[in-house]
Amino acid sequence: MALARVDHLSFAYPGGGAALQDVSLAVEPGELVVLLGPSGSGKSTLLRALAGLVPHFHGGRFSGSVEVAGMDTRVRRPAELAGAVATLFQDPEDQVVMTRVENEVAFGLENLGLPPAEIPARASAALAAVGATHLAGRAVAELSGGELQRVCLAATLALEPRLLLLDEPTSQLDPEAARALLDLARRSGIAVVCSEQRPALPLERADRVVFLDGGRVLLDAPRERALEWLRAERPAWTEPRSVHGRGSARELACRVADMSFAYPNGHVALEHQSLELRRGEIVALVGANGSGKTTLAKVAAGLLESQGGSVVRHGRAGYLSQDPGRYLVAERADEEVALGVGGNLERARTALAAVGLAAAADRHPRDLSSGERERLALAAVAVIEPDLLVLDEPTRGVDPERKAELADRLRREAPRRATLVVTHDLVFAAAVADRVVSLDESSEARVA
Amino acid sequence: MSPGPAALLLAAVGAAALLAHRTGSVAVLAVLLLAVCVRGAGRRAWPFLLGVGVTAGAVLVVTPFVETVGWHVLWSGPTVPVLGPLDVTSEELHGAVFQALRLAALSLAFSAYALLLDHDRLVQGAAFARRSALAVVLATRLVPTLERDARGLVEALRGRGVEVSGLRGRARLVSPLLAGSLERGLNVAEAMEARGFGRAGHTRAPRPPWTRLDRLAATGAPLLALVGALWL
Repeated sequence: MALARVDHLSFAYPGGGAALQDVSLAVEPGELVVLLGPSGSGKSTLLRALAGLVPHFHGGRFSGSVEVAGMDTRVRRPAELAGAVATLFQDPEDQVVMTRVENEVAFGLENLGLPPAEIPARASAALAAVGATHLAGRAVAELSGGELQRVCLAATLALEPRLLLLDEPTSQLDPEAARALLDLARRSGIAVVCSEQRPALPLERADRVVFLDGGRVLLDAPRERALEWLRAERPAWTEPRSVHGRGSARELACRVADMSFAYPNGHVALEHQSLELRRGEIVALVGANGSGKTTLAKVAAGLLESQGGSVVRHGRAGYLSQDPGRYLVAERADEEVALGVGGNLERARTALAAVGLAAAADRHPRDLSSGERERLALAAVAVIEPDLLVLDEPTRGVDPERKAELADRLRREAPRRATLVVTHDLVFAAAVADRVVSLDESSEARVA
Repeated sequence: MSPGPAALLLAAVGAAALLAHRTGSVAVLAVLLLAVCVRGAGRRAWPFLLGVGVTAGAVLVVTPFVETVGWHVLWSGPTVPVLGPLDVTSEELHGAVFQALRLAALSLAFSAYALLLDHDRLVQGAAFARRSALAVVLATRLVPTLERDARGLVEALRGRGVEVSGLRGRARLVSPLLAGSLERGLNVAEAMEARGFGRAGHTRAPRPPWTRLDRLAATGAPLLALVGALWL
């Protein structure tokens, strides 16, 4: 008997169009189902429907039914489903409740009414399972994004759910940590439904693949058959598109030599690192969580002052933060972009048009979808026409088709400037970069 | 030290500063609390210390002009309608220093509470009003989160060549910070419901027993407040 069953589910958010249309699927116990689909295709909404958050938390128009562990989500509230279902949301910062790690992991267990004596042991075991025992006494405000993601996973696994819902769980993790997380979820024996935009790792482990587009299920098939379908219908999801026309490096844009950096809390982020960026080339900077990629990128962009060593920069630098939520200062999209060019709305609208947002110029940035916000952020930085463009995790939460568009654009514009791309997405790095610099081994590879 | 006794001790130091009537005593308490904040929280303490400095400084500057006590005039200014003559006496200056130190000591006691205590355990120590206690925990989390968001916004602006400076520049960040907080609040509420918050029959993780130091602090706290009232 299926652990979860979705039957002819259609749903629209209040005041919005259809997010899901006539979706039916079943999840068997112990099965790993990978949910794929472009941004806005309904993946997160489907996960929320399985957790009962749609419709109870969000409201909206709901038809059809969802049943999880024998409970009808129309009748049972999400809090009643908790324990049978657990959700790991995309952004760990938006799901943490308590101020200390061990209390955070215990929070769900307290809600479920576990006997008090059992709570510390269950919380410790969950932290150990995700390799985060050393974080137990820490304040959550002090943790990095990757560490926080692990704590959130521990809080989820501590509930010992029968169905685990993962909403882009690896978006902030390096490949090794992402592999470990998915293996852990797989080994736990729990049924897992995992939505992903970096499909390579989950596809290796999936039992079944569901592909959504426009709120409809286009594919629901076992792994092998799904891979065949993806190769034929959506090749970007299985094979990264190769980008032709590598650039030729010209004059120096930035040189960081023998640089070290320590944060005020004493954490040494980098020691004796060097990096050279030349106009016309794209360099990908990769490495594990905490290896200092973002620090090095910020030093190159002039946002952090190097402590020791030297930094030489020729021309203007632009830095794209990995959080598109940081480009929501003004009241209109064109005014937001114009901030970097002294309020020149004409240049701002041209930059918006270049990322396909010409029609959104007069909209409030907060009314844009997550995909549109990412493009707005890129326009806000590109408009200043920097000689050095630094992009920090530009593919986080971006679907493979959009990534291919971004790679095309970066390659097309590469001759105008030097480009540094900080990324965990090795597939994207290989597709776009002339050189890949790894901070793990302090090594450098030239892409053929 | 457990958060309950530590909070009691901080409250007692704050009360002692409020009840003391010697400037030197209040100054000693303020320096003590400053050392606790800096030593315990390091660089994290700076935003709090800045707030303490600004408010205490404002009291120090404004008080001599709004008080009219003392005969030893140090400076005579013009007569302003409503406020009267703007002069500064040595008695007023002494009063201003005393009030500023008192405010600084109280603010530093709160800073130490905010920076160093395990608020989760502290508010959960109340055996009633779980929802209200949780609201306090979430509000406490808001401060570092807002601080991080503000840093992120400033950094993103600098990354496109926009320097944020002055009151006007920073005021521009208030609206996006508030809007971001509201969005985050909704997301946290959703995550809480998904983790069973609001379900009947909840329990609480056991708290570690008090140590000798905890008992000493809990006993000593009222005595400290009494000492402040009678002898400091």
